[in-house]
Amino acid sequence: MASVRAASRLLSKRILSKTTAVPAAAVQGSRDFHFSIYGKKTSAKVSDDISTQYPVVDHEFDAVVVGAGGAGLRAAFGLSEAGFNTACITKLFPTRSHTVAAQGGINAALGNMEEDDWRWHFYDTVKGSDWLGDQDAIHYMTEQAPAAVVELENFGMPFSRTEEGKIYQRAFGGQSLKYGKGGQAHRCCCVADRTGHSLLHTLYGRSLRYDTSYFVEYFALDLLMENGECKGVIALCMEDGSIHRFRAKNTVIATGGYGRTYFSCTSAHTSTGDGNAMVTRAGLPCQDLEFVQFHPTGIYGAGCLITEGCRGEGGILVNSEGERFMERYAPNAKDLASRDVVSRSMTIEIREGRGVGPEKDHVYLQLNHLPPQQLATRLPGISETAMIFAGVDVTKDPIPVLPTVHYNMGGIPTNYKGQVITYTEGSDKVVPGLYACGESACASVHGANRLGANSLLDLVVFGRACALTIAEENKPGEKLSPLAPSAGEESVANLDKLRYANGSLRTSEIRLNMQKTMQAHAAVFRTGSVLKEGCEKMDAVYQTLADIKTFDRGIVWNTDLVESLELQNLMLNGVQTINSAEQRKESRGAHAREDFKDRLDEYDYSKPLTGQVKKPFEQHWRKHTMSTVDVKTGKVSLEYRPVIDTSLDEQECAHVPPAIRSY
Amino acid sequence: MLSLLRLCAPARTPVYVLTGCSRAASGSVKDKQPLKKAKTPQGRLDSPEEESRAALQKFPDDVNPVTKEKGGPRGPEPTRYGDWERKGRCYDF
Repeated sequence: MASVRAASRLLSKRILSKTTAVPAAAVQGSRDFHFSIYGKKTSAKVSDDISTQYPVVDHEFDAVVVGAGGAGLRAAFGLSEAGFNTACITKLFPTRSHTVAAQGGINAALGNMEEDDWRWHFYDTVKGSDWLGDQDAIHYMTEQAPAAVVELENFGMPFSRTEEGKIYQRAFGGQSLKYGKGGQAHRCCCVADRTGHSLLHTLYGRSLRYDTSYFVEYFALDLLMENGECKGVIALCMEDGSIHRFRAKNTVIATGGYGRTYFSCTSAHTSTGDGNAMVTRAGLPCQDLEFVQFHPTGIYGAGCLITEGCRGEGGILVNSEGERFMERYAPNAKDLASRDVVSRSMTIEIREGRGVGPEKDHVYLQLNHLPPQQLATRLPGISETAMIFAGVDVTKDPIPVLPTVHYNMGGIPTNYKGQVITYTEGSDKVVPGLYACGESACASVHGANRLGANSLLDLVVFGRACALTIAEENKPGEKLSPLAPSAGEESVANLDKLRYANGSLRTSEIRLNMQKTMQAHAAVFRTGSVLKEGCEKMDAVYQTLADIKTFDRGIVWNTDLVESLELQNLMLNGVQTINSAEQRKESRGAHAREDFKDRLDEYDYSKPLTGQVKKPFEQHWRKHTMSTVDVKTGKVSLEYRPVIDTSLDEQECAHVPPAIRSY
Repeated sequence: MLSLLRLCAPARTPVYVLTGCSRAASGSVKDKQPLKKAKTPQGRLDSPEEESRAALQKFPDDVNPVTKEKGGPRGPEPTRYGDWERKGRCYDF
């Protein structure tokens, strides 16, 4: 008997020794597939802690990343590389994330085409953000940019090359030399015409080298917060309908933007601001959501943007009366006026009833008066684009267009290290255990306006920053603090309520109402009365969420349920956007108001500063908006946080004092 | 075999079911039109019109003759209008 016991003890010791952690170096050197479980703690336990109808599977990890786009993947494998047991939860397969659609390039001051300095890139980005960007975060990003691009290139990303074999850089995105005085800078690196696609595939391929656990097609429902600390995420597995709780000391949110709040956007249907909504439901603020970047000519229905080159080559915008209306708004520049002028003019025409189409909600871009041969040589491929996305023959019919959302500058507030912060009692306080990066975060590097080709840079730099910060402050294999057994039960209750919802309005109807309201009231044309009306309408639409009706009562691959959850997320983003826009009584960057056309800073920077009195914090607008929502009522509360005006190291890189932004 | 067919065929008219082997053996059924080529990967690449339809042609050796950029975007310079344009679509601005 004793010998049997001894034998079983020996056997269990041997089994245990097999399951001790294999050092990370060995994992790198070995050729195991990424989904092998050798040497991993398989601590998934099923329990009835939340509900007997929804058994919960509990996982324990060192770090959890929500979202597998450019930023999420970079954070996930950065953490795995540092030896952390990482889980990456994503509702889409990683290579289907919206990063794949980014075709523009990535900026970095490599200096391959001419003498370049990252401090000039820093200046351009601060100016582009209209002095709403936090200069320490911008310093961090632009200083790390060359290293980040070289790192990507070492991962295998096939950048285009010059004759000497260095990375080819082109002029793009408002970049200049010598702090704006040295002419155009060539800083944009690209991979043929599919930089974002290539970036995502490179990062995904690289991430397979490490033993990150991917949970693909898991919809993250909520953060597990306890005493103001983030202890993990609760998610729904779409494939089999099971609920999973991922307990981790560090959670990174990289869920992307929320373009789908608007009727016309370039984003995928899956860009629903899930991370922003999770943070809002946790009672934490979101920052600068009113800053949404628009483009004037997006194809109606499809959301693809038509290049300004069409207007540059002679294309004109016409309203329902066939009138070239830009002549009235910009008599000199006409259709070649700046993008915000064109967008506002189009919106005014639509508001005044001269829109085209059955709902009179867009205008026409006319190219059929141009010789077809000229169109084909100057703009090759446009006939294909117009036929596929608009269904028109560009040589015969005009293209239906309207102002379209492209990027969200705002998001979850973080410091330059990627840690999520709140602003209480006059200073930034870090939320322990929570990090954010990518479009869902607001570091804030883009401030009030994003420069072209800076967004892909933002993804990789801050994805890596989150991983580095976590590695600095934590050790792999640390014991997790205890979590209440019923953590996450509100999320499951909400899920159950939506699954059996039997109101009168379908998810698609409520979503369309929200999108139309946002497009009509919180788009390019913003004035007090329009925004106030929009806030009231959005509040009404928010209340109709209680009357939602879903049809699919199953739990396996219930897209009706997932779309309703996404609608709840979109709604939270939408109400914060429109309320923040209504309160901000100035025009700055992408937020342009007709009734407050100027920027209101603490000093009037168009005049010399001597003799001016600094306005107190409450009376000027060079500050970040921090918005929170009472989820039950839909009421938005706003607070403000000052912009960080000092760089990380004033000796290395002096900060840029605010000035009037003119190009 | 034919008796079986008569049993399952409708009572009015005899139905002649030609099996594959009998068709080949008969020789009287000539192929009036050739069978459509199946669009297997091999079959699909045979038609030359796919190549010329592409609006943007590849540069020789993938090197842009003007800027000497290797592996860059096809067609005219994407940033020539101030935004990143390809095939009339704007991707970044």
